[in-house]
Amino acid sequence: MALPRLIPLFVVALVLVTLALGLPSTFAENLKATADTSANTDEWGDDDWGEEEDKQSPFSGFIEIAYGTRTKSNPWVDRNDTLNEARLRLEYSDYFGQLYIGYKGDFTVDDLTWDGPFIDTKTREALVRFSPSENSDLYLGRQVLTWGTGDLLFLNDLFPKDWVSFFAGREMEYLKAPSDALKFSYFNQLANIDLVWTPKFDSDTFIRGERFSYFSPLANDTVAAPPRLSTEEPGSKLDEGELALRVYKNINGNEWALYGYHGYFKTPVAFNPKNGLNYFPKLSSLGASVRGTVQGGIGNMEVVWYQSEDDSDGSDPFIPNSQLRFLSGFERELVTRLTLSLQYYVEWTQDYSALKKYSPLPDKEPEEYRHLITTRLNYRAYQDKLTLSLFVFYSPTDDDYFAMPKVTYRLSDTWSSEIGMHLFGGKDDYTFFGQFEENSSFFARLRYSF
Amino acid sequence: MKGFSKLLALIALLGATAATSAEENDVELIVSKANHVAFYQGNDGRAESRMLITDGGGNRQVRQFTILRKDHSGPDDADQDFLVRFSRPSDVRNTMFRVIKHIGNSDDRWLYLPGLDLVKRISSGDKRTSFVGSHFFYEDISGRSLGADQHELLENTDQYYVVKNTPLDPTSVEFAFYTVWIDKQNWMPTKTEYTDNAGKIYRRIEALEVKDIDGFATATRMKASDLRSGGSTLTEMRYISYDIGLPDEVFSERSLRNPPQQWFKRK
Repeated sequence: MALPRLIPLFVVALVLVTLALGLPSTFAENLKATADTSANTDEWGDDDWGEEEDKQSPFSGFIEIAYGTRTKSNPWVDRNDTLNEARLRLEYSDYFGQLYIGYKGDFTVDDLTWDGPFIDTKTREALVRFSPSENSDLYLGRQVLTWGTGDLLFLNDLFPKDWVSFFAGREMEYLKAPSDALKFSYFNQLANIDLVWTPKFDSDTFIRGERFSYFSPLANDTVAAPPRLSTEEPGSKLDEGELALRVYKNINGNEWALYGYHGYFKTPVAFNPKNGLNYFPKLSSLGASVRGTVQGGIGNMEVVWYQSEDDSDGSDPFIPNSQLRFLSGFERELVTRLTLSLQYYVEWTQDYSALKKYSPLPDKEPEEYRHLITTRLNYRAYQDKLTLSLFVFYSPTDDDYFAMPKVTYRLSDTWSSEIGMHLFGGKDDYTFFGQFEENSSFFARLRYSF
Repeated sequence: MKGFSKLLALIALLGATAATSAEENDVELIVSKANHVAFYQGNDGRAESRMLITDGGGNRQVRQFTILRKDHSGPDDADQDFLVRFSRPSDVRNTMFRVIKHIGNSDDRWLYLPGLDLVKRISSGDKRTSFVGSHFFYEDISGRSLGADQHELLENTDQYYVVKNTPLDPTSVEFAFYTVWIDKQNWMPTKTEYTDNAGKIYRRIEALEVKDIDGFATATRMKASDLRSGGSTLTEMRYISYDIGLPDEVFSERSLRNPPQQWFKRK
């Protein structure tokens, strides 16, 4: 393929264009600033308060190059690189009276995409927001949505995630995929309400064998593309979308919330033996959370009931059973600039004996109670320019782990970089994290923001 | 009628006592007046701020943000709400920061990251750490509890009260003591110097420019210097207004996602 050779060219061109556009003003600013550092005149060297136009430029964005490679070769995937792309992000946000308009678009040359055009265009946000009344807001269009209290553990947040971006080591922002949705927020003294309607189901971007291999219960083995995991999507009728609800209130500094969801499992965890396709089975959920200050830190608890609508008695081996999930977390600054966060999480699978009885691979099913512990250590130094962090998932029941050491360095207001590792491992090759052992990787990113 | 004049006399006497105390250098009164002038002018306020951060090597960074503030009803010079919206640099553009400052208790802090639509609650931790990467500490921005230090009037010059502040809990801070120069004209703390255990001054905060805004003395240009590294941060405040009538509802989760234009927009 000629593509890999074109990438450096493309990157160089992008960087040159940016520098050509951005340098003169930066350079002039620096020169001027150097010239009158001692004076009490405008050391910023320009009219950056924006007094003349009365506001900032509504445009911004960044250019980023990213590369990632496996720590060891993967017997199921030919390529060793897991991330190899150059990205241009353009953002626009502005107000027209009370109407807010926001746009974020990514233009990426990705050496690892299997199909699609040379420059992959993805709209991340195309949103209008306004307040229909004094105590309500309406968000309409493509938008990133988040709620819940977990740190990289999502119980009541059933908005789409991009696991491929997350595994590959793209910026954390990309873990959250956008939804094409309508969000209505209503605020009052009793409790605040968020209602999100996603007319057409937005699934997660899940691991389907292109960059990363995974364990397939059907094959009873680790697999990778080709063929990539193909799925049957829910329909696009009005009643085949998703509804999500949050009711929340801050009581004496504690944030309480109730949640509801009606839609589908976000990954294709069910299998249709008739057509041989995986699909997204129906899911309804109900949950609650609380977050507040505890012992000089932040404590949180969250619970959710997942009702597997198509397998209410747990007898269908191709559809997941209902589950109760519980999370408890605590975060605190240990010493100045060093923060420790701990989470305990459990998934309690219902009708477990039925699951074992009907499963084609009863020995490879997770335990009835799957426990998980996470630890995050975060250290900031040099005027917050350097951040060292370590996040570790460890499951004592699955006997597997996922560790993420990262170093983030902000060279200046415009240049920043991050390097890190994603290390998967475990006793068995079929557990949640253990199946990804051969996908462990290093990654590095360099970004120029404008 | 007799009672009324008695009351008047009493009030006059009280006033006289207060005035005399100030003249007699009642240091507690001096520091509380300075604290009021530095952090509690008006019942609420709005300002735009930008920081020029220069590290010891001469590298520069900029932060620009708009800040809304409202004092809680109840005791004077106590709890406050803050809402901060960042506009520069571009990687933190539209990031929101919300603080409820509690006197005698840890603050409540939330950070809103628009890229993830994430409302992150952050533990308030050490208040003597950098505010957004600058040489100002959180405590320099929102104030230090008066009860945390023992105050001693060192000097009473024509222009300044010079007050030495020694921490009651020396393990909780990085300084041995700090000295504040309070302007007698307007009660503004115009210079603060921090001394370490070796007796060396290592940190300085100066009000380089004080303006009268809506009748309130306001530091519009401030500098924080780290004398060890040679780095410093220059802060300028503009578009300041006081007593604008900010409603309580502005300080809420709603405003993190939907910053109220009515108050953030430059008038």
